[in-house]
Amino acid sequence: MTKLIGRVAATEKIPTTIDEFYFWTDKEKILNPFDVIKAKHIQDSYTFGVVEEISHITDAPSYLASYISSDFGDVSYKANTQRVGLNFVKAKVIGNTKDIYTPVLDCSEVSLGNEKEVQKALGLDEVKNPLACGYIEMYEAKDKIRLPVFLNSDFLLGPEGAHLNISGISGLAAKTSYSMFLIKAVQQRYLQKDIPKNESVAFVLFNIKGRDLLAIDEQNADLSEKDKELYSNLKLNDQPFENVTYFYPYDKNDSINTYAKTKDVETQIDANKAFKYKYLYEQDKDCMELFFSNIDDPQETMSSIINLILNGEANFGDIRSWEDFVEEVKSYTEKNASGKDKSISVLSWRKFLRIIRKSLTNPIFAKRVVPTKNETRLREYITQKIKKNDVYVIDIAKLDEDMQAFVFGDVVNSIYEMKLGQVGDREPDEIPSKIVIFVDELNKYASGDVPKNSPILRKIIEITERGRSLGLILFSAEQFKSAIHDRVKGNCSTHAYGRTNAIEVSKNDYKYLPTVYKGMMTRLPQGEYIIQNPVLRSLLNIKFPNPVYKQFKNG
Amino acid sequence: MNEILRFIAESTSGTYYKSFRYSFESVEVPSVIYDDNRIIIMSPDKIGETDKTIRTSKSVEDLANKIMRGGKPLFRFFLDGTRSTYKVDDISYGERIYPIIAGQILVGCCKRTKPDIFKSSLLETQIVLVLPDCADKDGHKALFFNSLKDKINNLNVLKKRGVSFQKVLSYPDIKLKEGEKYENKGIAKIQDEMVEAEKRMVVQLVKEKKLNYQSYLIKDGSIEYKKIGSDDYRDLSAIKSNYRCVVGVSKTFNPELFQDKRHKTLAKRIAELPLFHRTQAFRYTHERAPGVEFCIWYLRIRSTERTVGLFDGVIKVEKILVSDEEQEKGLDSDEIDLISANLVNERNPTCYGLDNRWANHLYPVYLTEKYIKSNYISEVQFLNLF
Repeated sequence: MTKLIGRVAATEKIPTTIDEFYFWTDKEKILNPFDVIKAKHIQDSYTFGVVEEISHITDAPSYLASYISSDFGDVSYKANTQRVGLNFVKAKVIGNTKDIYTPVLDCSEVSLGNEKEVQKALGLDEVKNPLACGYIEMYEAKDKIRLPVFLNSDFLLGPEGAHLNISGISGLAAKTSYSMFLIKAVQQRYLQKDIPKNESVAFVLFNIKGRDLLAIDEQNADLSEKDKELYSNLKLNDQPFENVTYFYPYDKNDSINTYAKTKDVETQIDANKAFKYKYLYEQDKDCMELFFSNIDDPQETMSSIINLILNGEANFGDIRSWEDFVEEVKSYTEKNASGKDKSISVLSWRKFLRIIRKSLTNPIFAKRVVPTKNETRLREYITQKIKKNDVYVIDIAKLDEDMQAFVFGDVVNSIYEMKLGQVGDREPDEIPSKIVIFVDELNKYASGDVPKNSPILRKIIEITERGRSLGLILFSAEQFKSAIHDRVKGNCSTHAYGRTNAIEVSKNDYKYLPTVYKGMMTRLPQGEYIIQNPVLRSLLNIKFPNPVYKQFKNG
Repeated sequence: MNEILRFIAESTSGTYYKSFRYSFESVEVPSVIYDDNRIIIMSPDKIGETDKTIRTSKSVEDLANKIMRGGKPLFRFFLDGTRSTYKVDDISYGERIYPIIAGQILVGCCKRTKPDIFKSSLLETQIVLVLPDCADKDGHKALFFNSLKDKINNLNVLKKRGVSFQKVLSYPDIKLKEGEKYENKGIAKIQDEMVEAEKRMVVQLVKEKKLNYQSYLIKDGSIEYKKIGSDDYRDLSAIKSNYRCVVGVSKTFNPELFQDKRHKTLAKRIAELPLFHRTQAFRYTHERAPGVEFCIWYLRIRSTERTVGLFDGVIKVEKILVSDEEQEKGLDSDEIDLISANLVNERNPTCYGLDNRWANHLYPVYLTEKYIKSNYISEVQFLNLF
């Protein structure tokens, strides 16, 4: 049944247009930004609009009139008649049932839509390759409706569009939870029977804080009945992730450098679900440039040294351990280093040593791996073993920032090269057709301030620009979207905006948003997002249920 | 174009001129129009209320506060009328040229049930045309003009726009005195028609039993209607009883008309009325309304410190003396106090910044006026009908 809530008002100063219209409602009628309303239009059609702004006006031309009407400032004064007032609402046109886009006419009836109409208006009906991405709630009290939101996965995972970027301040935005919700939806989607045989997906996730992602294959015991019902409505099960493998950084004395409880990790290792990763000089020296991701190198002296080392010039070709490597580099830093190549200055070698020495003291830079103790090289394991529906969680939470960048860069490089067929001898069919990489704190690797020659930044840009065709999908998150490199965020087809602060929304990235939406972003409740996707006719304010996997309240 | 005018000219055997069309309201310089024109003599034998002891003024502030604290407002209905007049052409009959006047008449009534519920209750809209008497060459009068109206309404130009005339009126074709204009005679006809519509609306409200001692009506302006007791309505006392719960409130009045028995103006007394005080009520009759006695008093609802003019914040209140007892002893002073106190309580909100007469305006009346005026067909649209 149509519920009439107001009428369109087209005035001389504010006419209705193809893009927007205004309507008035009772001042006590509760509407919210993002609510979908419909206005009766010509030829028995309806024009749908999304509420953008709501204002309340009275006939008082100034505050002075209001003051005078309170008996010249008597704050307790109550008049027999309330000043005539109304709410007027700005709505952005998102469609018409008969594709008529002439401006809606003055005095046209405006009413709330029903579930089907709202779905149609937002382009959420008849979605191909549906992928659950949350739900929306609309209207108040008995008019309230809740709709699951399904996106066309072709526009999130390719080939039509790819990459997701999530922004929002720590804690309040629940960025990791939302990413994991989407990954859960993707995994379940690709477990369905209607997926073509040549289509498969695997996930590589980086755990960057606490124990966030270190028990994603364990059930969330606190999942409420409401959450379960929401998962059911979204056609998702409430089971934790399947096929999960964890990778922890090796620490001295066969231990691991992680926030996870040793007992938990041991259980995972016993079940052959966890590995300790190491880097060996001979196999991993190629990654050396990753130590210099955040170092400006305008003269390219660092690059020259790396080239010299990788080419095995001088004695570098004979080295087999990181310790020997450091010693060799040291010899180049001494005054009047005899018999050394003079084309690179001693000062440059000193700088090189200063940068690598701190990182190379980390126990993950080892001499060899012991497979029987579940030790592995990340690059080797990923490129050789990743298969469809696998979820690899790489724990880098306890590593320092430079080491985090190193591991991230190495994994990304490995996957990229694997997809290009440059490493390993696996049959292309064995490699998942799509690999989703999730990383939080993207600003560490792809901010606008990162040196242009940073190998990680270059790789991330390559993934966002070329990854769609290779089947490499980046799910990234950061606190402040404005800090991210333009080419990275510009290539993401889906954007999710969580709660942020007022300074952030004043940046250029948010210029296209109506003021009300910007204001909303600064007070979004935890677990709510404003999402933008090419198939959606409008931004959506979506919610999602609590995670299905085990949560650690204290990190 | 000019379909209506051509038709009128053909039907009345006149010649039309396609002269400049305009709204009288838009070309005339606004001037202060008082709602009254009757001298009120203040003398002991003219006291219009039961309490004869009030000397200069009486405060109703305590009563107003008491009502504000616990009571319900007395006024629930608010009535106003407005008209807009237009010169649409000139037409000649014989050697003389007469203006054709058209007008929109709007009379409406709003109801307040709660402070935040203010809705329209009744609305009457009329479009009228005024021609000189001589347009009816055979002297059939009403019959002729009625038939002309029907024929005009059948014209395509009106049908297409969904507009119709409710009446075709006529103004007297008499020799003009110095300063007189046919235009003013036509406008007066339209004004009379509006007054009649206002009267009809009061009757309707009474018939629908909407007015009672807990539910009074404020009529904007004077209720000193012409012909209130004429033959139009058979029983004078019945007509008067329609106005038992009707109060006329005038924003503008000529203070010079308030005089003592030696015809000395008492304007100063009105100007110096203390805040929330009323004058004694006086009675008077008008030759235009024989058999009807009015009771009037002045009331200050806003302090002079807050207003510009001396008479800003003073309203003139009128009520018809209905019963024989009222006519004999005057209106019950308690009722006058009650009406006055309730009017004091209607002083806020104000239409400050929206209407220059804000100090004298009552907001519900202002809203009613805005409501009915919002129903005007726009000037451009209206003039282009012709």
